[in-house]
Amino acid sequence: MTRVVVADSLTKRFGSVLAVDGLSFVLEAGTITGFLGPNGAGKTTTLRMLLGLAAPTSGTALLFDRPYAELEDPALRIGAVLEATDFHPGRTGRDHLRMLGQAAGVPDSRVDEVLRLVELADAGRRRVKGYSLGMRQRLGLAAALLGEPDLLVLDEPANGLDPEGVRWLRDFLRAFASGDRTVLISSHVLAEVAQTVDQVLIISRGRLVVESSLEDLTSRVGGAVRVRSAQPERLVAALAHEELKAIASGDQALVVHGASSERVGEIAFAAGIPVHELVTEGSSLEEIFLELTAEGES
Amino acid sequence: MIRQVKAELLKVRSTRTTIGLLLGMIALILLFTLLTGLLATASSFAGAENQRQFFSLSDLAGVFSALAGVMLVASEYRYGTMRPTILFTPHRSQVLAAKTAAGALAGFAFGVVGAAIGWALGYTILTGRGITIVLSSGDISQLVLGGLASVALWGAIGIGLGAVIRNQVGGVITLLAWGFVVNPLLFGLLPSVGRFMPSYAGDALVGLTTNHLLSPTVGGIVLVGWTALLAAAGLALTAKRDVG
Ligand SMILES: Nc1ncnc2c1ncn2[C@@H]1O[C@H](COP(=O)(O)OP(=O)(O)OP(=O)(O)O)[C@@H](O)[C@H]1O
Ligand SMILES: [Mg+2]
Repeated sequence: MTRVVVADSLTKRFGSVLAVDGLSFVLEAGTITGFLGPNGAGKTTTLRMLLGLAAPTSGTALLFDRPYAELEDPALRIGAVLEATDFHPGRTGRDHLRMLGQAAGVPDSRVDEVLRLVELADAGRRRVKGYSLGMRQRLGLAAALLGEPDLLVLDEPANGLDPEGVRWLRDFLRAFASGDRTVLISSHVLAEVAQTVDQVLIISRGRLVVESSLEDLTSRVGGAVRVRSAQPERLVAALAHEELKAIASGDQALVVHGASSERVGEIAFAAGIPVHELVTEGSSLEEIFLELTAEGES
Repeated sequence: MIRQVKAELLKVRSTRTTIGLLLGMIALILLFTLLTGLLATASSFAGAENQRQFFSLSDLAGVFSALAGVMLVASEYRYGTMRPTILFTPHRSQVLAAKTAAGALAGFAFGVVGAAIGWALGYTILTGRGITIVLSSGDISQLVLGGLASVALWGAIGIGLGAVIRNQVGGVITLLAWGFVVNPLLFGLLPSVGRFMPSYAGDALVGLTTNHLLSPTVGGIVLVGWTALLAAAGLALTAKRDVG
């Protein structure tokens, strides 16, 4: 596998604040990685070091085997968005893309192509000050895509997007990475990226606390399943028989840890207990996340 | 590098800032030329030096050209576009060099517009009042070419200043204070030092012969020196510094 990103003991100190503390990880081609951590964990600082915007206090970051700034025309290999607001409000979206594109030798035809891709073709000739937050997010993404990159690095791309926008982004990233292309997206909400990424890097206080595939992460802590039944007492007993602990959670519902929804459903079926509702709790991932990042803090 | 300069020139053209500054410059040149040309006594246009003063618009055009330069850098920090700019061109020296070139080219355009308007109007008014133009063709070409060079260099100086100060308001205030307060004060109090200030080096370059001014050649060299000094300072401050 090609190693697209290699971070080796990346460290960044701002005065007395150790923002990133000996962070090492490798991203392989074709993966979508969620870079997670609570506010202030050091995500943005790490991405800035990867992209040559900030110099590491120590350690190295290589993209395609070289420091970002030493790549020839890096924008043709790496697309990045750090802030969704990096536009001159009085410039049109299209001119914003053209001025960036010209620096990398990208023709205007590609500018129009990416505008269509992010569904901003009609808004392209309007000044950015009239854009909604979602449109700005997509314009930022369009800039990152100008050079047809093989690696996308996005800092909190879902911030401020409505559910439809989040879904659009998810589908887009999935399609983008379907070949051999690589994505690194940061977020402080695990659930936001859980349906997009294959693996996660979780940091807390500048240190890596978890590096894992999403599946492992879910199974490792044990996902919670919420099940509602007309006979909760019988279901508790049936689950206990399988050594699963169920916790009552309001109106005839139970929360079961450490089992998949399939397993809980099968147990109920075997015991002949009708089930009215059976869901994997979305928040359980969030609980994992909070638990893990709290571990990092202790 | 050509690509970067093209990109910077597009930045200059694609917001209303530059056109606003250009219109401001045109308005002030019209105002200055009309007022002075129509109201000043005929005797105040007697002699070549007086006429050179009247036709020399490089100070006025230079300020606006420098403001355009300051904005080309400072607005990138103000609106965060410096981030994508550096992502697309990670060598900061290349970004600054392209900006310096674009600032000088934009400044040159300011100079051309300013000179065309100033000369056309000034010449019409003076000849209309029956005042003979006593400038030789050498005087005139020095006024025009020296003026274009100094206005272009002011654009580049604005880039350096913007790279040092990085803040729009701070950059504009510094430029105006420097050009309109510090330079004249210094020239008035200590002409032997003040004549090395860019405003007066520019006056020397266009051929003004007021007391204490440098020779045109030295004036030109000093102006280039200021451009280089500020560009170097801007680069030193930009090269290693993290981008927010
Ligand atoms: N330029 C800077 N100067 C001083 N301290 C900084 C600077 N940039 C970041 N920090 C500090 O470094 C730490 C990590 O910040 P960073 O922005 O990388 O976190 P983050 O994980 O991106 O957080 P968020 O989710 O809020 O975006 C914080 O304590 C922050 O205050
Ligand atoms: Mg951040």
